[in-house]
Amino acid sequence: MSGALIELHDVSRIYDLGHVQVAALQGVDLEVEEGEFLAIVGPSGSGKSTMMNILGCLDRPTGGTYSLAGTPIAELDDDGLARLRSRTIGFVFQSYNLLPRTSALENVATPLLYQGVSRKDRLARAQVALERLGLGDRISHIPTELSGGQQQRVAIARALVTEPALLLADEPTGNLDSASGAEVMTLLTQLNAAGRTIVMITHDAEVASRARRQVHVRDGRLVA
Amino acid sequence: MRATELVRLALSRLGSSRLRAALTMLGVIIGVASVVSLVAVGQGATSGITKQLQGLGTNLLTVNPGATTTGFTRGAAGSANTLTIEDAQAIAALDGVAAVEPEISTSQFVVAGTENTTTSIIGTTSGYTTVRNFDVWQGATLNQAAVDARLHEAVLGATTADDLGLTASSIGSTITIGGLPFRVVGILQAKGSTGPVSQDDQILVPYTTVQDEFVPGDKLRTIGISVASAGQIDTVKAEITTLLETRHDIAIGGTDDFTIADQAQLLTTVGGVSDLLTLLLAGIASISLLVGGIGIMNIMLVSVRERTREIGIRKAVGARGRDILAQFLVEALVLSVLGGIFGIILGVAVSYLIGSLAGWGFVFSPVTPLVAVLFSLLVGVVFGVWPARQAARLDPIVALRYE
Repeated sequence: MSGALIELHDVSRIYDLGHVQVAALQGVDLEVEEGEFLAIVGPSGSGKSTMMNILGCLDRPTGGTYSLAGTPIAELDDDGLARLRSRTIGFVFQSYNLLPRTSALENVATPLLYQGVSRKDRLARAQVALERLGLGDRISHIPTELSGGQQQRVAIARALVTEPALLLADEPTGNLDSASGAEVMTLLTQLNAAGRTIVMITHDAEVASRARRQVHVRDGRLVA
Repeated sequence: MRATELVRLALSRLGSSRLRAALTMLGVIIGVASVVSLVAVGQGATSGITKQLQGLGTNLLTVNPGATTTGFTRGAAGSANTLTIEDAQAIAALDGVAAVEPEISTSQFVVAGTENTTTSIIGTTSGYTTVRNFDVWQGATLNQAAVDARLHEAVLGATTADDLGLTASSIGSTITIGGLPFRVVGILQAKGSTGPVSQDDQILVPYTTVQDEFVPGDKLRTIGISVASAGQIDTVKAEITTLLETRHDIAIGGTDDFTIADQAQLLTTVGGVSDLLTLLLAGIASISLLVGGIGIMNIMLVSVRERTREIGIRKAVGARGRDILAQFLVEALVLSVLGGIFGIILGVAVSYLIGSLAGWGFVFSPVTPLVAVLFSLLVGVVFGVWPARQAARLDPIVALRYE
């Protein structure tokens, strides 16, 4: 595989609202190597959510090229994007986004369902992932029975269970109290130290400072 | 995704909202149950009627006198008094005729000990029980010797015997018919009623005796013929027509003074009518199945709306549109098929109940539940696809932000 894990060249994302066109991203160039821990920092409305959607293959750029793990995503149809997400990306969201009324174990096992892994293997791997995050005694709890910090750790376990090349975290501490937030940041730092590539999107300079590299987004453009 | 995974997913989802699932299924349950039970009622009624008609006699033909024509005035059917015992004997000699019985009937006051009744007296021969498909319960039926000797012997229908308080031990006792003494030689097995006239309320005596005592002359009311096999009915009918036309000197193209009724014709007609009725009932019942299907669609649409965020999450973690489509479609299918199965159980129970109350017994055709299940499967697909497509098409970004 040649080059970096993430390669963005002159990427733009323009929303066509009929009478007016809004550029959420313009002329973005970005490379992220394997093993990096990058923070994309910006205030709300800066285009960082659009960055997140494009990096996470939930959305396509309207201009420029994006290659993830050597795959140019412009060549993929919706199913191809889903497959790429399934194999390459683990998502961690601000609001955890766990499946409601579903146990921690089933939640963590869900991404493996879409990789066609057998139920027995799914549950075994989900169990291991939860234990690794210190949640071995919470596997049958449903989200509402868990604290915010615990829910976010379940979400991280879910993101990691597929062993993705990229962990994409969107404001991972946004909904957490400072103690739980610090815990999650420590966890991310440890994961990166163990070799996991992490891209984190945040508006919080303090959180961003935990990353090894930062880029700033302002008005849809990357600034130094 | 494999089917088992999808079914497991659907079951665990439906299990987490049991009341809603049960209420949604209720529409299909009622629909399928009414289809199954109404079809069973239709088939039960058909088979009940058919059985009773077959009970009248196997491969039965009946010859009745036709209408008289006096000048230009045509009288009522049966007014021509043209059939004779010689006609009956001639018919008996035809090919394909298994048995023949002549009938002369009258109504008489009957007394047995302290009991009395008024019933129809059939003057006939030993052929009657064969042609009319009666079994003898006690004693014997009429025999040729009694007919030849013009004996005062009587064979009683089950209801008549009952009315007169006669039992198995009454064989050989004497009753009076129209004031004359008759010896009871047999009692017939009950057949059940066919319409308003019970075949069990009658007394058989030798026709010769009836001619002697009650109805003078040699004319017959009816000749009953049992054809050897069902395939020969049409041939035998034609033979009888030709024979009687010759015997009665009716010119070719002239008006016959007799009519021949055919049991098979009646069976076909009745069968056709009740098949149509069954179809009509099933049609009405399937409307409720349709309503049940719309109920499923409604709930699935609500469910897609409620679970928008879940759909977004699943897509983010790698679900393709078709995985989501399959998940929601299978949920609708599980609802409709489970509803179908419960509906069949309910429908079979109801038709069993109705069948035993109505007395035609339990008619169960395995085709009906099969069709009902296939139909509910179809309902699930038809009414599940649209909500499922809505779910599958959701944009993951919008779905993830949905509150």
